[in-house]
Amino acid sequence: EEEDDEDGIGEWERAYVDDRSWEELQEDESGLLRPIDNSAIYHAQYRRRLRAGTRIQKGLIRYLYIVIDFSRAAAEMDFRPSRMAIMAKHVEAFIREFFDQNPLSQIGLVSIKNGVAHTLTDLGGSPETHIKALMGKLEALGDSSLQNALELVHEHLNQVPSYGHREVLILYSALCTCDPGDIMETIQKCKKSKLRCSVIGLSAEMFICKHLCQETGGLYSVAVDEVHLKDLLLEHAPPPPAIAEFAIANLIKMGFPQRAAEGSMAICSCHKEVKIGAGYMCPRCKARVCDLPTECTICGLTLVSSPHLARSYHHLFPIAPFDEVPALSDNRRKLGKSCFGCQQSLIGAGNKPVPCVTCRKCKHYFCLDCDIYIHESLHNCPGCESIH
Amino acid sequence: MIFKIEDVTVYFPYDNIYPEQYEYMVELKRALDAKGHCLLEMPTGTGKTIALLSLITSYRLSRPDSPIKLVYCTRTVHEMEKTLGELKLLHDYQVRHLGTQAKILALGLSSRKNLCVNTKVLAAENRDSVDAACRKRTASWVRALSTENPNVELCDFFENYEKAAENALLPPGVYTLEDLRAFGKNRGWCPYFLARHMIQFANVIVYSYQYLLDPKVAGFISKELQKESVVVFDEAHNIDNVCIEALSVSVRRVTLEGANRNLNKIRQEIDSSYYIIEIVQLVGRFKATDAGRLRAEYNRLVEGLALRGDLSGGDQWLANPALPHDILKEAVPGNIRRAEHFVHVLRRLLQYLGVRLDTENVEKESPVSFVSSLNSQAGIEQKTLKFCYDRLQSLMLTLEITDTDEFLPIQTVCDFATLVGTYARGFSIIIEPYDERMPHIPDPILQLSCHDASLAIKPVFDRFQSVVITSGTLSPIDLYPRLLNFTPVVSRSFKMSMTRDCICPMVLTRGSDQLPVSTKFDMRSDPGVVRNYGKLLVEMVSIVPDGVVCFFVSYSYMDGIIATWNETGILKEIMQQKLVFIETQDVVETTLALDNYRRACDCGRGAVFFSVARGKVAEGIDFDRHYGRLVVMYGVPFQYTLSKILRARLEYLHDTFQIKEGDFLTFDALRQAAQCVGRVIRSKADYGMMIFADKRYSRHDKRSKLPGWILSHLRDAHLNLSTDMAIHIAREFLRKMAQPYDKAGTMGRKTLLTQEDLEKMAETGVQDMAY
Repeated sequence: EEEDDEDGIGEWERAYVDDRSWEELQEDESGLLRPIDNSAIYHAQYRRRLRAGTRIQKGLIRYLYIVIDFSRAAAEMDFRPSRMAIMAKHVEAFIREFFDQNPLSQIGLVSIKNGVAHTLTDLGGSPETHIKALMGKLEALGDSSLQNALELVHEHLNQVPSYGHREVLILYSALCTCDPGDIMETIQKCKKSKLRCSVIGLSAEMFICKHLCQETGGLYSVAVDEVHLKDLLLEHAPPPPAIAEFAIANLIKMGFPQRAAEGSMAICSCHKEVKIGAGYMCPRCKARVCDLPTECTICGLTLVSSPHLARSYHHLFPIAPFDEVPALSDNRRKLGKSCFGCQQSLIGAGNKPVPCVTCRKCKHYFCLDCDIYIHESLHNCPGCESIH
Repeated sequence: MIFKIEDVTVYFPYDNIYPEQYEYMVELKRALDAKGHCLLEMPTGTGKTIALLSLITSYRLSRPDSPIKLVYCTRTVHEMEKTLGELKLLHDYQVRHLGTQAKILALGLSSRKNLCVNTKVLAAENRDSVDAACRKRTASWVRALSTENPNVELCDFFENYEKAAENALLPPGVYTLEDLRAFGKNRGWCPYFLARHMIQFANVIVYSYQYLLDPKVAGFISKELQKESVVVFDEAHNIDNVCIEALSVSVRRVTLEGANRNLNKIRQEIDSSYYIIEIVQLVGRFKATDAGRLRAEYNRLVEGLALRGDLSGGDQWLANPALPHDILKEAVPGNIRRAEHFVHVLRRLLQYLGVRLDTENVEKESPVSFVSSLNSQAGIEQKTLKFCYDRLQSLMLTLEITDTDEFLPIQTVCDFATLVGTYARGFSIIIEPYDERMPHIPDPILQLSCHDASLAIKPVFDRFQSVVITSGTLSPIDLYPRLLNFTPVVSRSFKMSMTRDCICPMVLTRGSDQLPVSTKFDMRSDPGVVRNYGKLLVEMVSIVPDGVVCFFVSYSYMDGIIATWNETGILKEIMQQKLVFIETQDVVETTLALDNYRRACDCGRGAVFFSVARGKVAEGIDFDRHYGRLVVMYGVPFQYTLSKILRARLEYLHDTFQIKEGDFLTFDALRQAAQCVGRVIRSKADYGMMIFADKRYSRHDKRSKLPGWILSHLRDAHLNLSTDMAIHIAREFLRKMAQPYDKAGTMGRKTLLTQEDLEKMAETGVQDMAY
């Protein structure tokens, strides 16, 4: 009883009050409760995204700093268990996805705590280092300062080669920023050095974040819930359209190192210790490195393997978006009754046709799930491929 | 887009139109057709101004044989500029589509301070001293003198304007104040006098309320407007107060002292005039000079010539404070025809007022009994009083006094005298020896307060064919016709069509400890209520981004609550999240605070602004976009009900218009509250939350007086909230609003109509429109 008096609600109630799980239900025509069906909305969102980003030049070599706000507000519990934990969890997933899609790019991590920005990791191509550094110490303290973070990132990114795309992705949980100086100047500075700043807010729209994104050409979004946060993060995984100034083609010197022979011994240039077997050798200076892709620590040559290049390639030649098929067209009856991808029937319960799409080239039909899978993961149309 | 409303082709400068704008135009057109007055309530941010302008100008174009004139009254210079800006856009559009026949002359008129281009005149700090500085250079006698004495300084702009005489015309077009100044500078003509001259030729005039409502100004500015004019009062929710203020005068001790000094000066002037005449006779060189003028004036008054108009035309600057039809066309009474006698009368009047101010008790009197006691004690008759103002004007012109700002006190006193002498009903005289809230500081004040808003506006209703009263908050709409005593042909309230629910009103009745909160007199100082109010803000500032505005019911309440919050550490907690700014009675200080508040919002630091309902900020400052994501209205902003003036007015309203005391008070409080919370939303793309923090708002009789566009968003679930529930709703709302949205409203709710939509609608009728 005493506990109740303290903050008005008992522990058992709190779970409901905070979760408000009933809001995720809705009543259907027959009066049954069912979860709100969001799939149509999600698909529409996905189509919009697809349409926006077709056939434009993209920056494949990205230098991305992820800034995570671990100020006081990150300890709030409106995301379970806390904003901080959720942010870390999804950033981890994002880092993996990012390197999967952009093998030639590099990430660095910065955190804001107590009004000061700290570098967690420097730019690098190894997901494991970043994730380890990120998970190391989760705590939320003090105020947040957008300006300090921008200044720090700006300092770091100013040194990267000019062919790289400089990007900042800020996960911002606070609703204010305590800055030492004029943040507008910092924003202008970022704009000048072509930093593309994107912000994902965790609670509400802030003017300064919006302004920052508008000025630097980034995206600003606010997460509604955990799933949405994840989607918003992953939106940043595919490379953004190239900035006009960078659109001129550039020749970049790259090395394709050979895998060192089994059992050979060498001093690893990244860990500064003797290692046996595995690893790669820089073709220019013969230094040994552990992971690809990376930059040779001795001669500074960019080291990649050919699959990396190939994986980056699809961003430049994406599959044309599929056309939506109107529910009652004659063609549809005649042609496929099942999805060409997964072979599932395109006629749902009660002989009602399921919404589906068709490839412009091969005219095969696909269900919506396959549509997303083909465009986001496969990057090949099974229909067109099977013609060859 | 171009479309037809019945027989009028409307030219609308945008490609799309909101459904409520269309409806607004339809109603407005009906009122114009009926040549009657109308009351239209439409929320801010729906493009009221452009709808209004575009219909009236189009109406004018469709009736070329009887051109109507548009007189648009705004409250502030800023609004005036905005209106003219929109008109400019519209005008360009119409000219593009119709060619030169659509050309109109539209201009804004403001005081000399805003229009003057003479740098020396502009150096004066306030409005009155700019006026005086201008007169010093442009009065007819000064100009006459300068022909003999080249050292007298004149205003080149005015001289050039006078030289151009009839040729000084503005070419057709839309002129903002800035444009007028630029034009004046360019041509070397005085923009102020040019604008005043051009009023009679202009098709659209935009100026302040006072130019129509305050008889002192209206007398010579708006005299020549034709009957076929449409008068629009924009943001007119406070029009009754403006009307009342136009006819109310208050006299303090400083006023009397100033008036006494003025009289001494006038006396000196008169004496020196006579002195001169003696010298003149001795020397025998000049004929009539100053004294001659005084004599000539006397003769004129004896002959009973009308006071104004006969004097040199350009010099009118003091018109009678009484309404035109109440001024008797009589000769000035004999006892004040001579200047010396008039000065004596004024002295007696001042003495009498001084004695009355010395009272220890609060006194309330009707004008009739005041005049009779004045007559018995100071020997001044009612008729004499009535002519005070005109007589003073005449005397000051005769004495060629140009420092009009110095003579304000005596003008106030004469103003008072004339009003007391003219009106027997609808006024009362209240003498208070001290401010009720600070009883130990003697600050006597004598107020002549007008209770009847319909008095000042009556000539406007009588004179012009259509008067449009419009605002974002006119609820309850049936009360205004009663207050202003007129019968509108159309009175309607429009809702806002929105693609998303961008306003989120909430009624908070309990704190987080479930105890009721209110600013009711017996509860307001309860520490529990104060704490709950504080906690509400602490929680809110931590979840609302950028700007938060709080309105309190009065300055004293605000001071009290902030002091308590400071003691209990609540203020500190707020400051951790956001900076705190406070409105004070000092205008400069408040402007500075506002400026810094905006900067704090811009740079992401976030800020809270503490303000007072009925204050300057609540009336004129917008907190749109990130400058106000949340507004908290602490309590119901009732007027100070123990105020003698309010009591007298309530009595009068009850006796004359059968408006119940409680009804009027609630109406007045709720329109203020609506006005306050309405500050946060200025356009449809904007969003904001409104919290009414008082348990009394949950009662139907209070709530129902809020304007429809707020009520329609006030869901039942939001009517009886405690702090923690409000926090949750706010969080959800802010997240939802941060998502991208489509402006056209393709998801079923059509809020932007295109040309085709309108044509379709014209066939099927307006009723089918989806809200």
